[in-house]
Parts: sequence; C-alpha cells; structure tokens
Amino acid sequence: MESMKTLVRLWPIHLIVLVTSIVAQIIGVRAIPIGIGTILLLPLLFAFVFTLLLNPNVIKPIGRVLSTRRVAAASPLIVIAIMPFIAKFGTTIGPAIEEVIQAGPALLLQELGNLGTILLAFPVAIWVFRMGRESIGAVHSIAREPNIAIIADRYGLRSPEGTGVMGVYVMGTLFGTFVFAIIASILATSGVFSIEALAMACGVGSGSMMAACSGALAAAAPEATDSITALAGASNLLTYATGMYVSLFIALPLVERIYLRIRPDDPDNPRNRAAEEPV
Amino acid sequence: MTAYESEEDFIPSSDNRSLPLGTSLRDLAVVMLISIPLQLIATDLTLGAVLAGLAALYALCVLGLLLTKYSPFYLPSVAWISLVGIALTLPFTPWFEWFNELVTGIDFLALAVPPLAYAGLAISKLELSIMRRSGWKILIVAILVFIGTYVGSAAIAEFMLQVTS
Repeated sequence: MESMKTLVRLWPIHLIVLVTSIVAQIIGVRAIPIGIGTILLLPLLFAFVFTLLLNPNVIKPIGRVLSTRRVAAASPLIVIAIMPFIAKFGTTIGPAIEEVIQAGPALLLQELGNLGTILLAFPVAIWVFRMGRESIGAVHSIAREPNIAIIADRYGLRSPEGTGVMGVYVMGTLFGTFVFAIIASILATSGVFSIEALAMACGVGSGSMMAACSGALAAAAPEATDSITALAGASNLLTYATGMYVSLFIALPLVERIYLRIRPDDPDNPRNRAAEEPV
Repeated sequence: MTAYESEEDFIPSSDNRSLPLGTSLRDLAVVMLISIPLQLIATDLTLGAVLAGLAALYALCVLGLLLTKYSPFYLPSVAWISLVGIALTLPFTPWFEWFNELVTGIDFLALAVPPLAYAGLAISKLELSIMRRSGWKILIVAILVFIGTYVGSAAIAEFMLQVTS
C-alpha cells in the first residue's frame, strides 16, 4: 500500500521529532532574568533548536546519516502537527466566548497593529540601511504565507519587493518564534500592557509565533492561561479572515505611497520603470 | 513532496485543499502518538485522561479537515478546526460539560513542541541561501517588523480595552 510505504519512509523524521520533543519537554520552561523583565525559554524553542542542529542542510556532516531529501518530507508535516494545537486553542475560545465578545472591538481593531511596522521598521530600512524597493516587501506586513502571495501576485518574487518579503519570511521562519517569545515575556513581566492586550497581539503572526508568544505569556501569568489562549486564539482566527485584506488594501498601498514620496526618483518605481521602456 | 528549487516554486501556502485526506489523517495520528509522552511529562493527568483528551482533539481535527474538503466555500483547515473547537465548547450547548471535561486538562504548550520540531528539520537549502543573501540588514528589519506588529497590536488592544470597559 502506498500509504504504508510513505509511512516507512517518514519514520526517521517522526523518531527524531519524538526524541527531541521529549528532551525539550523534560527541560521545560527556563527563565532568564534580565534588567527590564524575564526572558522565558520554552520547550518549543528547545525542540526547534535541536532539530535545526540535526538538519543536514544546516550541519553538513549529518547528511551522511540523514539525507536532505528525507528531511524535505518534514515540511508538509508542520501544518499537520500544528492542527491539534489549533484545536486545543479553539476549545479554550468556546468557554470564554462572553469575554471574547466583550473584547470584540479591541480584537477587531488590533488587526491594524500591523501598521506598527511602518512606524518602526520602515524608517530604519529606508534611512539607516538605505534599502530600495525591497523595503516595501519587507515592511508591509509580518510576511507570512498570504502576504507572500500578495507580493508575488503584484510584483513577482524575483522583483526587489519579492526579495524583501522573502527575506523577512525566512527570517521569521528561523527566528520569529524566538523574537515573539522574547518580546512577549519581557512585556508580560514588565507590566507595560495588560495581559489581555498582550494575548490579543499574539494572534498577529503564524501558528508557531502564536504558540511561542502565548506560551511565554502563560508561563509569566499562569493564573490567566485560559483567557490568554482564548484571546490569542480568537485574534489568530480573525487574522486568517482579515490579515490579508489589511495587508492588501491598507498596509501595502500606504507603504507604496510613502516610498514614492520619499524616493520619487528611484528608477525601480513602477512609473519610472514604465518610462524607460520604449513604447 | 515539497522540495523547493527556486523562489518561483516557493509560494508557500499555509494550507492546501488538495492534500489527500488519508495521508493527513495518518500523519495526524502519528503526531498524536508523539504527543502522549509529552502530555504525561507536562501534566498530572493519568494515561487514560491523556488518551481521551488527545482522541477528542484528533476528532476535532478530523471534522475540521472534512469541512475543509467538502464545505461549499473555502477556509484554511486551521480556521475550520478552530471553529469546530469553538462550536463544541460553547457553554450553552448540551455537550459542553462532557466535551470540555475531556480536553481541558491537555497542556497547550506541549502540543506546540512537535510542530516546531518538524519545522527545524524542514528548513531547506533554499531558505538558508535566502537568509545568507538577505544578510543582517534584513534580519534587523525583520525583527523590527515583528516588534512593530506586536507592540502596535498590543497598544491598540490596550487602548480599546480601556475605552470600552
């Protein structure tokens, strides 16, 4: 049977995941106090680092025992493996439905938090690093899959904008969970925002980012775990529905317009690009 | 199998309707088996309670996958799974007590460990070469994008919570 054959082919991957996950879970949550708060290292981060170090694409000699073709099969398994986690999140939203509905306006509007990138990342990309139009792809969104599709559709992935969005996507895949775990734990332990607001903001990215973020919050405020997962889960569900539209209709046109205002003479701008071509 | 050759094939989709259901259910079952020891380490639940909880979550995922495949309009499977999870735990439903009892003790953080373990193994040559080509400037911009989005969302949420309460 075809299905049995692929299962046999996948067993080394599952075995590695089983062993590294158990080790990561035994290590548990580790807290590192720093001046302004505490950084919480979570089992999921340990598991990610362990398998990264067993990945033949990262550590070449591993290729002798585990081929790069074999580990390529792990990619579709990420979506499958995140499903039980998403299911568990759903089951925390139900019982807290009143709280979620009460937080409705906050949940809806925080989807626009996306625009915070324009305030923080865009100026650095443009004025500090002197980046060109790749900055548009890089900062218009948190660069998850739907955002790549938007940029691919509008500019193509080989364009400067495509380079920008792919760069942030890959950095997010590699470091996103760490960044989210670290900011969430620092903000949760320093008390600038309420835990509810921080929980809602956890839903802005991918499933793994939400896991790292809400995990850090729950470790910092264990008594609020149920409302953290309910609000983060509701926000993440909402992001599936609205994230793409915020990016397509608000963030991208805004970034594009600001860029044209700052760098009207960039030869890569669509207007100038068209002007160069003979009619 | 997903082996990305160039950036053009690399429009990663978070989800895929064409994924054969049988394969998904099989892989999902393996992930559930991996989760058993993790739950036993993370919680004080008995083996029976862990098995029941994970079986309930498995059933939710199966329902979500079926809806993804056969519903008249498209939503990503994670959205369907989430919606099924909500529907089965609404406090006014007759099955609430029974179902909530099953899943409430399951540790969500331990459920997030296997996906990240697969993610570490799945990092491809192409992704590493994009990372090297993008360099440290994109890394810093990416970190600022994440911080900006997170703090931006938290600030708006905080403001709205204070206004509405």
